[in-house]
Amino acid sequence: MNQPRALSRRQFLAASGLAAGALGVAACGGSSAPKSKKSGPATVTFTTWAGAAEATAFKQIVTAFEAANKSIKVNLDIVPYAEMFQGIDAKLQAGDAPDMFRVTYTNLGIYSSKNVLLDMTPYVDSAFISQFQPAYWSAISFKGKPYGVPHQTDTTMLLYNKDMLDAAGVTSVPDTLASTWTWEEFLAVAKKVQAKLPAGHYAFMYDWAQTGAFRWLSWLFEAGGNLLNADLKTPAINSPAGLKAIEFTQSFFTEQLVPKNTSTGNATYPDSLFPAKTIAMAFAADFLLPGDIASAAKFPYAATFQPRDVTVSSDLGGNGIVGTNQSKNPEAAAEFLKFLVSRQSQQTFCEQACELPTRKDLVDATLNWTVRPDLMKMFVQQATVLTPFQVEQVTIPAFGSINTALQNQLDAAFVGGQSASTTAANISSAVSSATAASA
Amino acid sequence: MSSDLNGARPGGTTGSEALIASVPSAEPATAAGPKGMAGLAGRWWAISETLTAYSFLAPTIAFFAVFMFLPIGLGFWLSLENSSGFGVSTFVGLANYRAMIHDPIFWKTLGNTAIYTILTVPSSVLIGLAIALLLKDEFLRGRNIYRSFVYFPMVISGVATAIVGGWMFNENLGVADKFLAAVHLPTIHWQSSSFPAMMSLVVMTLWTRVGFNMVIYLAGLQNMDSSYLEAAAVDGAGPWRRFRRVTWPMLGPTTFFLVVMNVIYSFQVFDLVYVMTGGGPSNSTNMLGVYAYQQGFIENQQGYATAIGMALFVLVLAFTAIQWRVSRHRDLA
Repeated sequence: MNQPRALSRRQFLAASGLAAGALGVAACGGSSAPKSKKSGPATVTFTTWAGAAEATAFKQIVTAFEAANKSIKVNLDIVPYAEMFQGIDAKLQAGDAPDMFRVTYTNLGIYSSKNVLLDMTPYVDSAFISQFQPAYWSAISFKGKPYGVPHQTDTTMLLYNKDMLDAAGVTSVPDTLASTWTWEEFLAVAKKVQAKLPAGHYAFMYDWAQTGAFRWLSWLFEAGGNLLNADLKTPAINSPAGLKAIEFTQSFFTEQLVPKNTSTGNATYPDSLFPAKTIAMAFAADFLLPGDIASAAKFPYAATFQPRDVTVSSDLGGNGIVGTNQSKNPEAAAEFLKFLVSRQSQQTFCEQACELPTRKDLVDATLNWTVRPDLMKMFVQQATVLTPFQVEQVTIPAFGSINTALQNQLDAAFVGGQSASTTAANISSAVSSATAASA
Repeated sequence: MSSDLNGARPGGTTGSEALIASVPSAEPATAAGPKGMAGLAGRWWAISETLTAYSFLAPTIAFFAVFMFLPIGLGFWLSLENSSGFGVSTFVGLANYRAMIHDPIFWKTLGNTAIYTILTVPSSVLIGLAIALLLKDEFLRGRNIYRSFVYFPMVISGVATAIVGGWMFNENLGVADKFLAAVHLPTIHWQSSSFPAMMSLVVMTLWTRVGFNMVIYLAGLQNMDSSYLEAAAVDGAGPWRRFRRVTWPMLGPTTFFLVVMNVIYSFQVFDLVYVMTGGGPSNSTNMLGVYAYQQGFIENQQGYATAIGMALFVLVLAFTAIQWRVSRHRDLA
């Protein structure tokens, strides 16, 4: 019987070399061989993060779009939020970007200013643009050109635990924008509630943690102030209104009306403290409602509008959907973007994910939100008070850096003992550096 | 792991030493043989052996070149640019490094990283050693269960550990303060005071890292020749003296390895801090790695973020080089 011949080291190396060479040749052949010509529908990729409710809504909209547009196929690429922008940035740099992606309004400027997005000008007309509230169309525009579509928005309102307010003797809470509390009235209520609470419990908290620091700007706008001047380059925060807003919000901490760990530098969010009854009231965004608040808050709760000072205001949460200029099928991408913000698609998405519409015809419409439609109607009204100029201030390309400065400086003011005047001056100088660096 | 350490011991012969020793063996043949064919054959043999050595090393060299040296080189180049990570980048020379020197948050995060390293490395190494000494006894019943308990946190994802830590040390709802209140001790502001926030990170770090240190020390202890300890015992040395004079010096290479690894882990800490404290309060737990990430991916200053990364690289490299020299001198002494 023949024994199998032992393989010597040299023979093994020679055989390996030949095999590797053959593979290399095959690989070269593969790459140079003519590719089979594509036929069938054009495929466009849409990369987004999505909560469970959002993912269901996106899938439903993609199915409806593909049924209506047989020549286009949409590849819905859902990624975790934590990995979203590292991935997008790396793909943009590598020339391998998706045709479309979702981006917060406050981060959109960094992309639109770097000439990497699809200019939507050829695909939209004035009739299309007029369907949206001007503030949100402004949020996706840069230097007059639209770089996507305003998909949805979210904003902050004051949720309150009815039992805890009743126990403090607060029985009347405003339910219209016109009758909302003034700053002084709100502070008096907060103090009254705090007086009845045991140690370790607080009157309220605000949702300005970490990258949510920009939500503090509502107070600045309410005081009649601005972050930037009309040139969108020079800072306007170091003003009497700016100082007033900083001092007022600083007093939440000095008066111990909010937990100390709810400053801008902490990572504490209202959906943990409000259901646990650690706080009686929570300034919280609408998208928190379908999650822990709806499932864990086992007590009657309602919402009221943000308090007013010189005026009422709000914050710009929410996202646009943008196309990239690397898209091989820009027409198909533009078609899908327009479909995403059609009346039916936007209504479906907002109802399922508890978000707010950007279309004028949906603001006054009756939407069937899956969670607390009574409160969602109030959120819609709250979102309408933001002006286009306020939107422009938070969507400039340098806003990422400014947001970090807001986070650090407000944290120093709230829990670091930094004076309001130093805080305003520091934010002001950070704004100047950031806008100069991005110019 | 332990066999690598033994290989590096003074007096041991490593694989590379053996390889080096084999190459000069061609020399005598060349020198002794007559000039001409024999000399040429010798030289050819030497060249062939060298080529063979490099051909064996080639995959490793290629791997390091592609996955280590090339990214470091490209990273250094990126640190000389003003780049958002996409779009057009502009060359700015050393501007990012100048900005870094004048950035108070960079210095604060560097200081925090050093404090965190000082608080975590000696404690985790010593606790790991103490547990290894306790659990090395082969007559201890259930020692594998105890060892598994200590090692278990090591296999949990860093992010999961950080989420658990975040809840435990939540100063409104967490068990840490609930426990303190239950035993009538004052509660601690784990999230809103600087030092307690740092300590909460240290506690979670020790929880995850002690198990690894224990396993490496156990390997070191099991490879130790017990005759030294027996000889010391015969000479009348007590338990402490046996540990201090025999066990501890013989574990020198293990300790060296663990200190270097732990310092690198501590300098590169990211997930725990990013998820558990977000660097707060007031940047008091912000570390170099987290700050680089914030600059690179939140502020889109990737050139500057890479400059911070290069600073981190140089610091870890310098520390390892110093530690290497100090350790070598000690072993030779």
